[in-house]
Amino acid sequence: MSARRVVVTGMGSVNACTAGGTEAVAEALDRMRSAIRPVTGFSAGGGASRLAAQVEDGVLAGLVGRDESRRLSRICQLTVAACRLAAHDANLAGGTALGIAVGTEHGDFRSSVEFATGFLERGPTGLSPMIFPNTVMNTMASVAAIALGARAPSITLNQPTVAGDLAIARGAALIRGGRAQAVVAGGVDEICEVVYRRLAEMGALSPMGGPGPEACRPHQVGHNGSILGEGATFVVLEEAEGARARGARILAELPSAAWGNVPAAPHGARPGRADRASPVCRLLRARRAAPPFSRCYGSGNGDPRVDDWECSLLERDLDGAQDRGLLPPTSLAPVFGQHAGLGALRFGAAALDVSRGAGRVLVHGIARGGCRTALVVAPPEP
Amino acid sequence: MTRIASRMSGVVVSGLGIVSPFGAGLKAFWTGLAAGTCAIRAATLVETDGFRSRIAAEVPGEAMAALPAARHRSRADRMALAAASEALADADLGACEREAAALVVGAVGGGMYEGESWYWREVRGEASSGRTRALRSILPFAHAETLGFRLRLHGPKETLVMACASGGASIAMGADLIHDGAVSTALVGGVDALTRICFMGFNSLRLLDPEPCRPFARDRRGMSIGEAAAFLVLEDAEQCRARGGRIYARLLGSGMSTDAHHVTAPHPEGEGMVRAMELALESAGLGPSEIGYVNAHGTGTLQNDRIEALALRRVFGDGGVLVSSTKSQVGHTMAAAGSVEAVATVLALQHGLLPPTANLVNPDPEIPFDCLAREARPAAVAAALSNSFGFGGQNVSLVFGRGEL
Repeated sequence: MSARRVVVTGMGSVNACTAGGTEAVAEALDRMRSAIRPVTGFSAGGGASRLAAQVEDGVLAGLVGRDESRRLSRICQLTVAACRLAAHDANLAGGTALGIAVGTEHGDFRSSVEFATGFLERGPTGLSPMIFPNTVMNTMASVAAIALGARAPSITLNQPTVAGDLAIARGAALIRGGRAQAVVAGGVDEICEVVYRRLAEMGALSPMGGPGPEACRPHQVGHNGSILGEGATFVVLEEAEGARARGARILAELPSAAWGNVPAAPHGARPGRADRASPVCRLLRARRAAPPFSRCYGSGNGDPRVDDWECSLLERDLDGAQDRGLLPPTSLAPVFGQHAGLGALRFGAAALDVSRGAGRVLVHGIARGGCRTALVVAPPEP
Repeated sequence: MTRIASRMSGVVVSGLGIVSPFGAGLKAFWTGLAAGTCAIRAATLVETDGFRSRIAAEVPGEAMAALPAARHRSRADRMALAAASEALADADLGACEREAAALVVGAVGGGMYEGESWYWREVRGEASSGRTRALRSILPFAHAETLGFRLRLHGPKETLVMACASGGASIAMGADLIHDGAVSTALVGGVDALTRICFMGFNSLRLLDPEPCRPFARDRRGMSIGEAAAFLVLEDAEQCRARGGRIYARLLGSGMSTDAHHVTAPHPEGEGMVRAMELALESAGLGPSEIGYVNAHGTGTLQNDRIEALALRRVFGDGGVLVSSTKSQVGHTMAAAGSVEAVATVLALQHGLLPPTANLVNPDPEIPFDCLAREARPAAVAAALSNSFGFGGQNVSLVFGRGEL
C-alpha cells in the first residue's frame, strides 16, 4: 500500500440546518435540532409522506453570485457554494493538484424533467441546449471544478444512501495513488417534486405505506422509512505532508477507507448476508488489534431493512467485547434528512469528534443494493 | 503533482466482453472493426421527426433478442450483463478471484430509455404499465447493482459518471484499486443504451451529423450517437501468470485531468487533453515516440477533432503517430465509448491490425496525422494510447502494451 497519508483540513456545507465551514457545521451538530418540516415549494401529493429537510432558497441566494444563480441549476448552485466554503475553510487554492469527488443519488433530475418536458410540450423547438448538459450527472463536479480551478481528476459517483461516504473514500484514493494532492470530496442532492412524489408512491419514504406516523426514527421501535433531505457537504482531504508544509489546520486523519459489495438484489437488503470477501469486512476485522473506536456513525436512516442490516453487519465484524457500546450507530438522518451530503456530514462529524479528543471514530454505511463503506477517522499522526 | 511513474506496470487485461452495434460478442466486434464496416443506420428506437440527424448506431434487434438476460431488465442492464459475463468467462477466473473482484462501471443514461417511455406515456395521458420497475432502474447505479448481484462480486463496487469519459475512467480507476493493493482483480467498463434525452440533446446542440459521422474529415458535420456495453477484466500480472491466464495486453499507464474551463467546450488549446496524455505516458514510463497508434476520442465534431488534433500535435508532433476513430464505425457510445475503444485498442495490439476511420474520404488538411482512412492497416505496434474526453472537461488517456513482449 502507498505511504501517502490523508488528512482532513476543512469542510463546507449548505444543508437544511446551516451553511458555512467547520464552525457552522460544528454548531449544527452540537445543536442536533432537526430541520425536518412539511414540504414547501410543491405539493407532496395525496399520500402519507409529507415531510422533508429542505434548504431555504434565501440561504442559497446569499452564497452564489447573481450570474451563477441565473446560469446554474439549483443543485449546481448548492455544489459550488459548499465546495467554495470548504476550500475557503481550508484556505486552499485551485490548480493541477486539486481534484473533486462528488457523490450523488439523484443528480440534477429536475433538469432532466425540464428538458424532456420542453420536447413533450413544444416538440424539437422546445429543447433547450442550455439545460441538456445538466442532464448528465457529472455537471455538478464540472461546475465545481470550474469554480475552484480544480484541474486534477474530478469524479462523480452515483450511489444510493452512501454516495457521500464513497466519494470521500475515492477522494482519499486519488490522493494515495498520486492523482491529486488535495481533493474536495462529499455529496449533494436536492429535492425535486418528481423524485419526491414517485419515491413516496413507491413506498420508499416514511411511512412506507404502513399505518404508523411519518417520522425518521433510525434503529427505534416503529422505524418506518427515511425522510428526504437536501444539500451539499464537502470536506477537504489533503496529502498529510503537503498540508503540514503549508501550515494547514489538520482536524483529523483518514488512515483507512474501504468499500465493497454485499450481493443483494437491486434495491434489496439482505440482513445476515455474508461478505467475508469484502474489503470492508477485512478492514474491520483486521483492526481488532488496534485501539477501539470511541464512536460509530452509521447510514441507518429509518428504513427498517437498512437499519437492521447495518447493525447485523457491525455486530458480526466489530469486536463484541471491545465495541459493544457502539451499537446502534449514531445516525444524523433525523436532523438533516437522507441525501448524499449526509455521508460527508457523518464524516465531518467524526473529524470534529477526533479534533476534540475522541480518539478513533468509525463512519460506516450500507445501502440497499449492497454497497458498503467504512471510513476510519483518527487523530493525525505526529 | 506527485510523479506516478510505472504505477500500473503490473496490471494486465485478461478478459474482454462487448455488446456493440456490430452485435453481441468480441468476434462480431472485431470482424466489423477489421473490415472497416460502419454500423450507423436509420434510428429505430427513438422518434426522429423534426431532428437534424435521424441516424444512430443501435445494437441490432436480433442481437438484443438473443441476449440471455431477462427481458424485464432495462435495455442497458441487459447489454451490461451480457458484456460483463462474456468478459468474466473469457478471463476464466477461479472462484476466489472472481468473488473478490472489484466492479467499476462507467454509466450516464442508466435505464432512462425505459423511464422515458413511462414518462412519455404519463405526460401524453396514455395508459402506463410497469411504472415501478421502469423507475427503479432509471439511475446509472442500477447497472452496478445488477452486475454485482447477478455476478456475485464482493469487491469494491462503484458507478462512475464522467460523461463520455466514463468508460475510460472506469478502467483507470479499476487499475488504481489493483495498484493500491485493494484488490487483485477488477471488472471494469462502461454501458449506455440509446436514450431520447441524449439523442435530442445532442441534436439541440447541433452536434449530430445528418450523415454517418466522418471524424477528421474536412467536411465533417458532427457525431453519430451509438450504444454499447464493453467490459474488461483487469488483473494483477503476477496473479494472472500464476494461474495461467491469458494476457491480452498490459495496461501500462493512465492519465486523468480536468479542464476546469467550460461545461461543454474543451479548453481551446487542449490543455487538459495534453495533460491527460502526458500523465498517461509518464505513468507508463514511455516517451511519445514509443506509442505507435492512438485510438482517438475522434467524435467528428468540428471542435473536438480540431482541438484533439492540436493536443496530439503538442504531445506527438506533426504526423508522429497513426490515429483512427472507432466512433466512425460504431458511433459515439457515450459512457461506453472509453471501454469500447479500449477493447478496440487491445484487439488492435493483439492482432497487429489497426482499425480504420470509416467514412474518411476528404481528410482535413489541418489535421496533420495519418488517420487510417477507410481501411485497416497491418502494423506490429508495441504500445498504443486511447483517449476519452467528456462534457465537463473530463479527460482520460490509457496506455496499453502488447501482451507478449
